[in-house]
Amino acid sequence: MSDQRTIVIRYDEIGLKGRNRKYFEKTLLKNIKRSLPKDKGIEYRVPRGRIMIDLSATVADEYADRLKKIPGISSYSIGITMDPDFDEMAALGVQWIEPLMQQGKEFKFCVKTRRSAKTFPKTSPEINFEVGSRIMSQLSPKGLVVNIKESQFTLEIEIGLSGTVVFHTRETGLCGLPVGSSGNVLCLLSGGIDSPVAAYQMACRGCRVHFVFFDNQPFLGRGGYDKVLKLSKIVNGYQGRAKLFVVPFQDIQVAIRDNCREENRVVLYRRMMYRIANEIATKYEMPGLVTGESLGQVASQTLENLAAVTCVTSMNIFRPLIAMNKEGIIKLAKEIETFDVSIEPQPDCCSVFMPDSPVTRSKISILENDEEKYPGDVLKEEALRDMETINVDLL
Amino acid sequence: MIYLDNAATTPMDPEIIAWLQDSMRDQFANSGAVYGIGLDAKNKIEEATETITAALGIPSSHNLIFTSGGTESNNLFIKGLCSPDKKTAYSGLEHPSIVETLQSFKEFGNEPLSLLEFSKKGRLDLSCLPLLKEKRIRLLCLSHVNNELGTINEPVLLISRLKNDAPQTRLFLDGVQAVGKIKINKSMWSGLSGYSLSAHKFHGPKGIGLLAYDSKLTLNPQLHGGKQQFGVRAGTLPVPLIRAFAKAVELAAARQQETEKHLLKLHAYLVEGLRKLDIPVLINSLDDEFQCPSIVNFSLPPVEGEVMLHHLEKQEIYIGMGSACSAHSKEPSKILLGIGLTEEQARCSLRISFSRNNNFDEIDKFLQALKSSYQVLLSTFLKGTLDR
Repeated sequence: MSDQRTIVIRYDEIGLKGRNRKYFEKTLLKNIKRSLPKDKGIEYRVPRGRIMIDLSATVADEYADRLKKIPGISSYSIGITMDPDFDEMAALGVQWIEPLMQQGKEFKFCVKTRRSAKTFPKTSPEINFEVGSRIMSQLSPKGLVVNIKESQFTLEIEIGLSGTVVFHTRETGLCGLPVGSSGNVLCLLSGGIDSPVAAYQMACRGCRVHFVFFDNQPFLGRGGYDKVLKLSKIVNGYQGRAKLFVVPFQDIQVAIRDNCREENRVVLYRRMMYRIANEIATKYEMPGLVTGESLGQVASQTLENLAAVTCVTSMNIFRPLIAMNKEGIIKLAKEIETFDVSIEPQPDCCSVFMPDSPVTRSKISILENDEEKYPGDVLKEEALRDMETINVDLL
Repeated sequence: MIYLDNAATTPMDPEIIAWLQDSMRDQFANSGAVYGIGLDAKNKIEEATETITAALGIPSSHNLIFTSGGTESNNLFIKGLCSPDKKTAYSGLEHPSIVETLQSFKEFGNEPLSLLEFSKKGRLDLSCLPLLKEKRIRLLCLSHVNNELGTINEPVLLISRLKNDAPQTRLFLDGVQAVGKIKINKSMWSGLSGYSLSAHKFHGPKGIGLLAYDSKLTLNPQLHGGKQQFGVRAGTLPVPLIRAFAKAVELAAARQQETEKHLLKLHAYLVEGLRKLDIPVLINSLDDEFQCPSIVNFSLPPVEGEVMLHHLEKQEIYIGMGSACSAHSKEPSKILLGIGLTEEQARCSLRISFSRNNNFDEIDKFLQALKSSYQVLLSTFLKGTLDR
């Protein structure tokens, strides 16, 4: 067998794009190239509807694994590029199928061809027949049968203008759109289970997600900060090039705690978080905020309280988890490997700041009245001035 | 940096670091091997054992088992001797490695006897000992020095009273906080069934502890897979760590009197300083002859201990606490609740623990930082006084 492999990459939604298609394809190709080493032995080809990577068999599995974390890829296969020679393709099929067969047992297979090079003299069904019959002639005595509907093994052949590739497995990708194709957004990251999942969801819709964390030090220790570094690094694994903004929030919390109505505290904290996030997003040209809010999950996430925080900014606010239940969010958090970090026992808020019974239906006029009681603008500016900016790629 | 959390762990003595480094290079051979360098390693363990027994006055009636630390020593002795059905008792103020080990017997229907109601002063009131006889308790487990309060259960006194009031009850002491800080009375060994130590509490390395136990007892091993250490604890012996342990014990014992004197001065200076601070401080630890001078525990209600800790951390002053303020729950210290503190007092507690490295200047800086942080935090923690 050849010591070279070809990874065939398919994408779904990009295929639906009209005149923008090239832009999406270029973005995906750029993201793929960034995730793989700059080895001399890696060659990229972009025939219509596919991205092909030619590389050494020794690294093919390892590098292909990285494609599982790149939004925009619907599936990929590791195959072998060869001449469109029916005998050679059938020989490869036999080489793959024979070890899977058990003596005396029937084994179902089929051949599927995609022929984008219309100049090739045979049609796809004809190619299926030519290769399939050659394989059958060798393996039917051992129990091989053709069965398209219940195939245990599908030999796939893609004959395109840039070459012919033969493969037999498809790995599912993340689907969605390539990161960067939709623009930049800023996610309010708390260290809990939800916000990293929300960030991931937006990355899968083509956004490059940056993060903002509101830090409670020294009311709490550095544990929350460290946790957010870990979470942003994991989520950044799906996109790259993110920034993390760490905003010192304790003075604002103290001011709200000391001056405002106890029951309104949490909504007031969040209104300030949204305002600060809005400033950062505007400065760095990120036309959207992302939060992990899910309707009704906690007191601050009722319809009224969500409206009370939303109205402090005119920016797009994306809440991809809004209609998800906790089980679904946890399942996704486990899949993207943020869950174990999120449940590390680090408090995200000191109990001194928490009200005994938070308001569930806040009134904007009362909140505004509370906000007249402390110097919000001054404290906001100070927090922004003392903000730390971290390049997540370097973590 | 001012480090005042020496009950959590101590910085390693540079002399022991060098000693350990040399030993890691030189005594790499397996002490169970039959060739020369293996025998050399074995000899080094024997030397270390002699050093330890000499430093602590451990008689030949007791076996020494090297473990990974205090937690393992406590588990090994208690489970090895009493699991699953022997009756046990504890004061309720012990480290979780004793409390939770004893509690694990519950699944066999063997509930340990808590003597918490006799422990309100932070140490066991010996008037409860006849109860052990009545309840047929086989093993009493106590801390020699309480890890949060620094209160001492005096072994010699305990042993003589036990002999009289509950002669069938054996005594096990967790000595992790005691060694190097207070005098180890050599006459205690004859009445002690087991005693645990951990090197990192007296400037040695982490990952090495010791269990000294009465060799007449049969301990069931908790780790299987080798005949090392009387068949009680399987596993290749970490020769360099054992040598470092011995060196640390030797230094701690040699300096004990001098260290204790120094700690007593620091303790008195801190307590006086706290009282003079002009803020309402509640001293939870004691000031009598049965108080280990290395630990001072106090509360500053309503300011929560964890918040104060982090404010001091910002000034590079590191202290300990018994409780946490997280909105998502850690419960207040069971030890502090056990001696009758309210939840708020327990939540607002802090623990200062000294080593021989600390000095008065550090205490002055700590007190200054404590006062200024308290003044900053007080208004935030006061409830019901806001003008709305």
